[in-house]
Amino acid sequence: MIKRITSLAQACSWLAVLATLGMVLLFLGFLGVRGFDTLNLSLFFGNTPPWEAITGRLPVWHGIWPACVGTVALVLLSSLLAIPLGLASGIYLAHYATGFWKKWFCLAVELLAGIPSIVMGLFGFALILFIKKTVAPQANTGLLLSAGCLALLVLPYVILMTQTALEALPDELRLAGLSLGLTPWQNIVHVMLPAAGRGILSGVILAVGRAAEDTAVILLTGVVANSGLPSGILGKYEALPFHIFFLAAEARSDAELAQGFGAALILLMLTAALFLGAYYLKSTFTKTWDPKNLSI
Amino acid sequence: MGPQKPINLKPTVMVESLHVGFAGREVLHNLSAEFHRGQLAVILGRSGSGKTTFLRAFNRLNECFPRSETRGSLRLKLQGEWRNIYRDAVPLTELRRRVGMVFQTPHLLPVSIADNLALPVKLVLELSRRDIASRVEWALKEAHLWEEVKDRLDSPAHTLSGGQQQRLCLARLLALEPEILLLDEPTASLDFRASLKVEELLLSLKERYTVIAVSHSLSQARRLADEALIFRDGSVVQRLSREDLQAPDTLQALLEEIF
Repeated sequence: MIKRITSLAQACSWLAVLATLGMVLLFLGFLGVRGFDTLNLSLFFGNTPPWEAITGRLPVWHGIWPACVGTVALVLLSSLLAIPLGLASGIYLAHYATGFWKKWFCLAVELLAGIPSIVMGLFGFALILFIKKTVAPQANTGLLLSAGCLALLVLPYVILMTQTALEALPDELRLAGLSLGLTPWQNIVHVMLPAAGRGILSGVILAVGRAAEDTAVILLTGVVANSGLPSGILGKYEALPFHIFFLAAEARSDAELAQGFGAALILLMLTAALFLGAYYLKSTFTKTWDPKNLSI
Repeated sequence: MGPQKPINLKPTVMVESLHVGFAGREVLHNLSAEFHRGQLAVILGRSGSGKTTFLRAFNRLNECFPRSETRGSLRLKLQGEWRNIYRDAVPLTELRRRVGMVFQTPHLLPVSIADNLALPVKLVLELSRRDIASRVEWALKEAHLWEEVKDRLDSPAHTLSGGQQQRLCLARLLALEPEILLLDEPTASLDFRASLKVEELLLSLKERYTVIAVSHSLSQARRLADEALIFRDGSVVQRLSREDLQAPDTLQALLEEIF
């Protein structure tokens, strides 16, 4: 009887793995079939000569180049805001916070993690209206506001993963460093963080992926269809997920719809590239942060 | 029955009315003791009798645990000067470098063999690269480990055997030029042969340091100790000299006391 249950459970788990794999392949295949034909230079640059488009001398119509640049800029800017802040908060929660403050701070982070992205978008929108009415009448929605709101959206991933990774380390590792006369800060930077590097990185990857795909936040905080390359960190911009959303809702021809699939494929590749970048960062991170670098 | 001190021994550690507690519960009560350079003192007692807490009072490691509280006086002679570590402002980094500790299980850093020594040397002593290398080699030789690891200094430290790991931990301390060595059951996780090797090392080191070791083994105490302190419920109930430890009738009494 027990044998039969075990083999049934085994079969089920195999089936689950196969189903997951199958769905991912189906999804990629569908995107590939629908979007592959559109993958060429004109998908990116429309009728504009590529070099002129890349250098920004001529505007791009009917191409996704500005959206690619917008998304990359958005992800980089929001990572720049969220990762240092998230790391620092995670370290604080794991090593410094105690009792009352830890409880409330953790609650706040969990609340933040539960906020839907459209609400975060509304918050950004309300914030810029408030700023407009009070201190800076010329303030408007744009790249920085979107990046700020996105950073707030992905911050909990970084905080929670940093905290969890640090707290999962054995206590003896902490004592080893401290008993050797390392200051608590040296101990965190040179011993604990490198040891927790893998866990922290998965938080960063989650955050980057989330920032790249989110549409609701940017919808209300500065993305504009056909606005071209971002003019600066305060300027309007285009972004891939919004472009896809826009095409899906308002495509006027089959060619435009096909471009939507192409854009989705590019977004997928871009996210994959960002993940690879994060892995690369991790290896340099371990090179600089890992004590191996002191090698003799 | 007090320890019979040779006359030329001068104390390097003086503990007077030491109380240590955690979260309001006192673990060590009104403890007094003294230890000498060149001698190996062994602390014996049942588990839970406060041996480890006592050891951790010397490098203020108890403070790394929540709500610890220490009262009393603990004076150490460091660099020829008496310092009351709970009253004078002794920098923690300086104190913990001079008062090295080995734990029950080897507490390795997750890096290579050489870097286990190089990292603390670099961070705590701020030596140059070349000095770090020679310091690492010197310390590994001191810990009788150099011959075994010199060809694989860059391998991860956890690839060493248990006994080697524990000697690596000792080497790591020695590299920081300590004056007092605290050993918390250093052979608890080792087999007999590896234990003997560590014991041999300790005997060769004790001439130049003040060594305070917690042990779980009476026979080990008899092999190593110049004096022994018997702990019960956070107090010293008995002090034994080397001669006392060897005497068969004390042995019987001790067996009943401890086990």
